[in-house]
Amino acid sequence: MTTPAHEDTHVDHTDVPEHGVYVPPSGWHRWTYPGWLRVIWATPLFGALGLGLVVLLRWAASWDPIWKWSSIATVELTAVPLGFLVGLGGFDYWARYCSGKPTLPEDHSRHGARSWRDYFRINTDHKVIGVQYVVTTMTFFVIGGFLALLFRAELAHPGDQYFNPQTFNALVTDHASLMIFLVIIPAFAGLGNFVIPLMIGAADMAFPRLNALSYWLLPIAGIMLLVGLAIPGGGPSAGWTCYAPLCQHQPLGDVFFNMAVQWAGASSIMTALNFLVTIITMRAPGMTFWRMPLLVWANFTTSMLVVLATPFIAGSQFFVMFDRVMHTNFFEAGNGGYVIGYQHIFWFYSHPAVYIMILPGFGIISEVVAVMSRKPIFGYRLMALSLLAILVLGFSVWAHHMFVAGMAGWLRVPIMVTTLLIAVPTGIKVFSWLATLWEGRIHFTTSMLFAVGFIFCFVIGGLSGIWLGAVPIDIQANQSYYIVAHIHYVLFGGSVFTIFAGIYYWYPKMTGRMYNERLGQLHFWLTFIGFNLTFFPMHYIGLQGMPRRVADYANRFGGINEFISIASFGLGASTLIFLYNMIWSWAHGPAAPNNPWRGLGIEWQVSSPPPIFNFEEVPQVVGSPYEYGVPGARHVIFGAPQPEPVPAD
Amino acid sequence: MGYDYPPPIHFSSRISPVIVGIFLFIGSEIMLFGSFFTVYFFDRVVNHTHPWPPPPYERPVFVAGVNTLILVTSSFTMHWATQSIKRGNRAGLQAGMVLTFLLGLTFLLTQVIEYHRIGFNTSDTSFAATFFGLTGLHGCHVFVGLTILLAMTIRSFRGHFSPEHHHGIEVGGIYWHFVDVMWIIVYTTVYLL
Repeated sequence: MTTPAHEDTHVDHTDVPEHGVYVPPSGWHRWTYPGWLRVIWATPLFGALGLGLVVLLRWAASWDPIWKWSSIATVELTAVPLGFLVGLGGFDYWARYCSGKPTLPEDHSRHGARSWRDYFRINTDHKVIGVQYVVTTMTFFVIGGFLALLFRAELAHPGDQYFNPQTFNALVTDHASLMIFLVIIPAFAGLGNFVIPLMIGAADMAFPRLNALSYWLLPIAGIMLLVGLAIPGGGPSAGWTCYAPLCQHQPLGDVFFNMAVQWAGASSIMTALNFLVTIITMRAPGMTFWRMPLLVWANFTTSMLVVLATPFIAGSQFFVMFDRVMHTNFFEAGNGGYVIGYQHIFWFYSHPAVYIMILPGFGIISEVVAVMSRKPIFGYRLMALSLLAILVLGFSVWAHHMFVAGMAGWLRVPIMVTTLLIAVPTGIKVFSWLATLWEGRIHFTTSMLFAVGFIFCFVIGGLSGIWLGAVPIDIQANQSYYIVAHIHYVLFGGSVFTIFAGIYYWYPKMTGRMYNERLGQLHFWLTFIGFNLTFFPMHYIGLQGMPRRVADYANRFGGINEFISIASFGLGASTLIFLYNMIWSWAHGPAAPNNPWRGLGIEWQVSSPPPIFNFEEVPQVVGSPYEYGVPGARHVIFGAPQPEPVPAD
Repeated sequence: MGYDYPPPIHFSSRISPVIVGIFLFIGSEIMLFGSFFTVYFFDRVVNHTHPWPPPPYERPVFVAGVNTLILVTSSFTMHWATQSIKRGNRAGLQAGMVLTFLLGLTFLLTQVIEYHRIGFNTSDTSFAATFFGLTGLHGCHVFVGLTILLAMTIRSFRGHFSPEHHHGIEVGGIYWHFVDVMWIIVYTTVYLL
């Protein structure tokens, strides 16, 4: 039966009255056709409309001043990106649908990449979108890392060298915001986008047009954060947490943070919703929930977290926006507002967000460890169930970020208990990986090195996390470099290492070429050593009392900070090897075989790169995805007699 | 390498993807409302703001109550429209859609007039902030819902949708019912309690 959501995958539309006929553009029509030519005029048009709306409204209501920049910036940061998306064609299909016109039939000309140009437009192919995501996030990874090197240069010596404190804070804020909202969260969305439809045997995601749109929100958010740095008066500088009411008294640049988070959040909610619907409704026959690869499980739970928690950060940013633009008093104590209300709402998202930033990484590590150890993953069901346990517990630990914020005293101990409890499912995963490695035939490819490096760093970060979860220690270590060390051990040594593992692991599948193994291993060792030299000493200076987010510090921390800065430059330089390896191999690397790692997953049974529609026919799943070393074990067979398709309605 | 068309699609659930999608989206929306209810709870209960609303402000309970009845009625007309197209009754679909749209529009315009005459502004204490926050957020949802209803109405007059092919009506209807139920909660919390 034909349903509107699946028109992409149906061939014959001639009998449906809703569909028109596709005519390719020519002559001046190219300016009205979705694409960069239309972006050129639609973006300024929407910008002018937004500006006109605010100024006319303020003039008509005789509000003073008419040119109030915080209001103008808020509206413009909605209007200009909207104009860009309209120009690029993000809403074309829905606009035609809503206005009652016949929708254009999907002739698949906008699907898949035939040249590099196809990566720079709205493309409905999940594999193209996956590559778009990964390349975008790696670009912002380099930019965000560069910002970190800038303030590490400032921190090499006590006193003010290169930046004033306001600029220093803006650099710290932008570094954190870019790394969290533009690198780690979307990098997992990108890898998931590429492999999940392949892994579950689907031709694409459930909503390909929504998928394309949600990618294009991402560069908007990133550019917004970067432009914020250059705004007169200073960039966003209240930290990535952007606590109210502090951030409401910041310069104009803070509006850019405010709006960028909204765009990035919208993007990740749309992607997560797409993942959930895809995993629920599009699995191949025989792919029961207990036969799903753990990466699919991980993205399923992560997407639940995103869909349910991200609205809270949207809410918190809305309140800040209302306080700024409409002079409401959500958090101003003098007028009945609740000052730490922002922190509660913010962390009710942002604590689940740390699981959003690590659960897909857990999934990647499970794939890599099982394949490279040539053994079935240890405790498959418990691995999946522990993800669900983290999902549930993740909502109950937010206030451990606020032990010293002045929140209700009775809340401390219950939150401490749940915080320590959530280490249990995480521990189950770590021990399962170790048990998988046990007596395996381990192949130390680059992805495996990153996986083992991840386990090493993540255990250190996890242990300091348990430590910080205890109220008395948290009171001592709060706002110190100990926190910085902890967060980098779980987010850099944790999440970023898993992203590297994932990129190296699926690189042959994504590009159809092999990367240089020797350069990959060099990259791992330099990153691993540089990372530990940079962040391990921060535990020490943190406990000695050096506060974070401050441009200047006591002279006694001088020597060790110089050491950290030098190590951080080495860490930064190691990324150049990664970039060189990835870019050079993409153009000149040897052609990749279909299954270089001898994996059982469905994604390894198709060509590298996969065909535009993934499969000629729907694959039939017959067993577990992890039966490595089991003679005759099959995960999937092609060309099996097809069962009757389940009707959609 | 590469085929011109994708393989026939296989569905692993009996519910259509669009329906799963709209329910998940509504879950997300409920959490967004949840954050607004949380800040309301903080400003009113945790902060011990007593009495609520702080004098001299008053809430137009009666006008908003009548408005509630209007919105609830629109849910029934929406249901009628959905059932009509399932039975192939196009006139019923069109009448139901027009009625639903007009009732929704009446609700929104009443709320605009209510804002205009309410006697306090967004900058007047946290009470006003939460009042305009919750009712305004809901108002935005009514606006989005009306946009969807308008598109559905236009298409129903252009001869689209059929007894076998009516997901457009169903999804929009589910969203409209959500907007309606959410208003009952917002009305109870903001006006009555």
